Amino acid sequence: MLNAAEIKKVLEERTQRQRGTGKKVTDVREEMLRLEEKGELLIHRIRPENRPVQMQTLFGWNKKIPTDRLWHHKSCGQCGNIPGYPSSLLWVMNQTGRRYLNEPHQTSCTAWNYHGTATSNPVALAAVAARNFHRAYETDHFPLVHCGTSFGDYKEMRKLLVENAEVRHKVREVLRGMGRDLVLPEEIVHYSEWVQAMAPEIVARRRFDVSAVVATVHEPCHYYKMVPEDAVYDEAVYGGQRPAVPTGILLSLGARVADYSTWYDCCGFGFRHILSEREFSRSFANLRKIRPMVEEAHADVAITSDTGCVTTLDKSQWIGKAHGQSYLLPVLADVQFAALAMGAHPYKIAQVHWHASPVDHLLEKMGIDWRSAKNEFMEYLKALKNGTAPELLHAPRAEIEQYFAINKGQVLPVEEPSVASASVSPGNGRVSS
Amino acid sequence: MSVVAHLPHRSLSLTEEEAAQPPSMELTGRRRMSPADRGLSQTLYEEFHQDPRYHEYVLGCLNCGECTTGCPAARFYDFSPREMLQIAATGDATTLWDALQEKIWSCCQCYTCNMRCRFGNDIAGIISVMRELSVRHGLEATRKTLAPFGRSLTLLMTVGTQVSADMIQPDFFRDWGPFATGSDQVWGVSPEVMRKAIPLDVLQTTRSSWEVSVQTSLELFRIYEETGVLDMLRGLDPDLTEMLVDIIEERREEFREAREKYRDELITMKGPVASFEG
Repeated sequence: MLNAAEIKKVLEERTQRQRGTGKKVTDVREEMLRLEEKGELLIHRIRPENRPVQMQTLFGWNKKIPTDRLWHHKSCGQCGNIPGYPSSLLWVMNQTGRRYLNEPHQTSCTAWNYHGTATSNPVALAAVAARNFHRAYETDHFPLVHCGTSFGDYKEMRKLLVENAEVRHKVREVLRGMGRDLVLPEEIVHYSEWVQAMAPEIVARRRFDVSAVVATVHEPCHYYKMVPEDAVYDEAVYGGQRPAVPTGILLSLGARVADYSTWYDCCGFGFRHILSEREFSRSFANLRKIRPMVEEAHADVAITSDTGCVTTLDKSQWIGKAHGQSYLLPVLADVQFAALAMGAHPYKIAQVHWHASPVDHLLEKMGIDWRSAKNEFMEYLKALKNGTAPELLHAPRAEIEQYFAINKGQVLPVEEPSVASASVSPGNGRVSS
Repeated sequence: MSVVAHLPHRSLSLTEEEAAQPPSMELTGRRRMSPADRGLSQTLYEEFHQDPRYHEYVLGCLNCGECTTGCPAARFYDFSPREMLQIAATGDATTLWDALQEKIWSCCQCYTCNMRCRFGNDIAGIISVMRELSVRHGLEATRKTLAPFGRSLTLLMTVGTQVSADMIQPDFFRDWGPFATGSDQVWGVSPEVMRKAIPLDVLQTTRSSWEVSVQTSLELFRIYEETGVLDMLRGLDPDLTEMLVDIIEERREEFREAREKYRDELITMKGPVASFEG
């Protein structure tokens, strides 16, 4: 570990925009402004109504994190197999009074497919990014990217669109064919940065004491290894030596964050591997990540902030018992953990039942009465089966939206709260003050 | 008795059938290639070096091995990002051809090698360029590697999401255990009801990650058509591609019918809704 003077030196060097290689890294946002002046593109700006919070990136550059009026760029993997991830995020937004738009007029970034099968190309990826950026722009809500890979991919595509005139012209041509313009957001924002920005408000609403919980953090590779200069760092988190998210929210909530030797390794997702070569994914996840987390750090939970990482680390463990590796370490997204600490219903909101590794012990350690919550959920399932209308976090889409990306723009879901205020009562005495 | 005596024994003499087979390697150590493959390998080599990303991604190599030390795939496969970079930088058509057969598909695309590389090479990126090349030319090994992706490609090309709840079936994801698949054996209700219990309306489907509007999926398909992705896929799997075109044609028809149905409401709207013709 570096001493204080060495850390200071590293941070000073970063401020001078120098990487370890001495290679100059330019701030793509500056060139973006120049292109806007020339009429080459539009910038979707973060405005006061987005209630931005300032953070710092790897080289000490400022990054504005909007906290209100957000357009949810959902993750296909989260929504497909760990739906408690997005529902926890929207629940926290409801609790903190943030406005948002969650609509069917979005595609995924398609980068999971690209990194898995290469059946795409940079122009197509850039056009997909630009199409989704424009959709957010026309609704007047700022895009909030849920997935680490989408976050990394969109930063790469923003860079490509800014630096490569040929790609930019081709993409603009494609967009014009669908009545859209080339719009780039002022910042590409990952939801975990929003969680970090909202830490004071989240902590203020904490209902369970998590100080007995030992958490290990897996840092998603595509959050900080794809376009390193745009990840958020904070001197108060690991001395600024590792990204500030998702560790920051755990520390703010009062959990104990433990280190382990293989923190820098990926999770084993592999994009292609998780679907067609899972023997690799599960071996890597169990041997290189879960085992050190359990044996070295004695973790109660692994926390991460990306789709593929939650999936791989969690779902690879069950089969481990075939080799005598019954770690069964709960794996959650940071926002699921935060929502639980704020009193979210473990099943209706955090949807922990989609996770392969049991979360019961962790919930007990947090003081959450999961048995009552589970019984309540079982009753809810029966009611749904018998035709009861589902509880929702926001007003449902209009019928016409099944076909058309109508520009409803100023719809404010939070102001029309639906049924799901679903939360749990404090359990066995571990209530925070 | 010596240890050697316990080892599996194979006769040194070949059977007639074995002897009739050509040796798998030529005496030079190079893989035996048909004239057609040799010609294709040369084409691939030239296209690879002409790709505009080549000179941006491949900057040089100190052979320090830092990339491979941190590589997850290198721990489990006969794969090394250093080797991939060396092949990209100094390999000939044959070594590139060999890498395209299998090795490129070991990479996890985690970008750890990029982060560790002192030279600033984009190793994950150059492997993607190699992969694109192998897809575009429909190499046999690539077809085999990507054969299991028909379903996810169909979903991705038609609605733009990679997975759906009905893909995560217990039969195919047995190794994930009983809890991860929303199995009715655990909760006593169907997967459809499990999805209804998610408090976000657009997620209450089993056929996609979320419900994607028809206009959105048609816009996406237009991107694929106009940026060469559809042609690329046609080289890899022409049957799948034709099926996708049929699916999209049906969605276009659905869109046209909806325009009629909602004509009065659409007249007042501006922007892409009004101008997009599907």
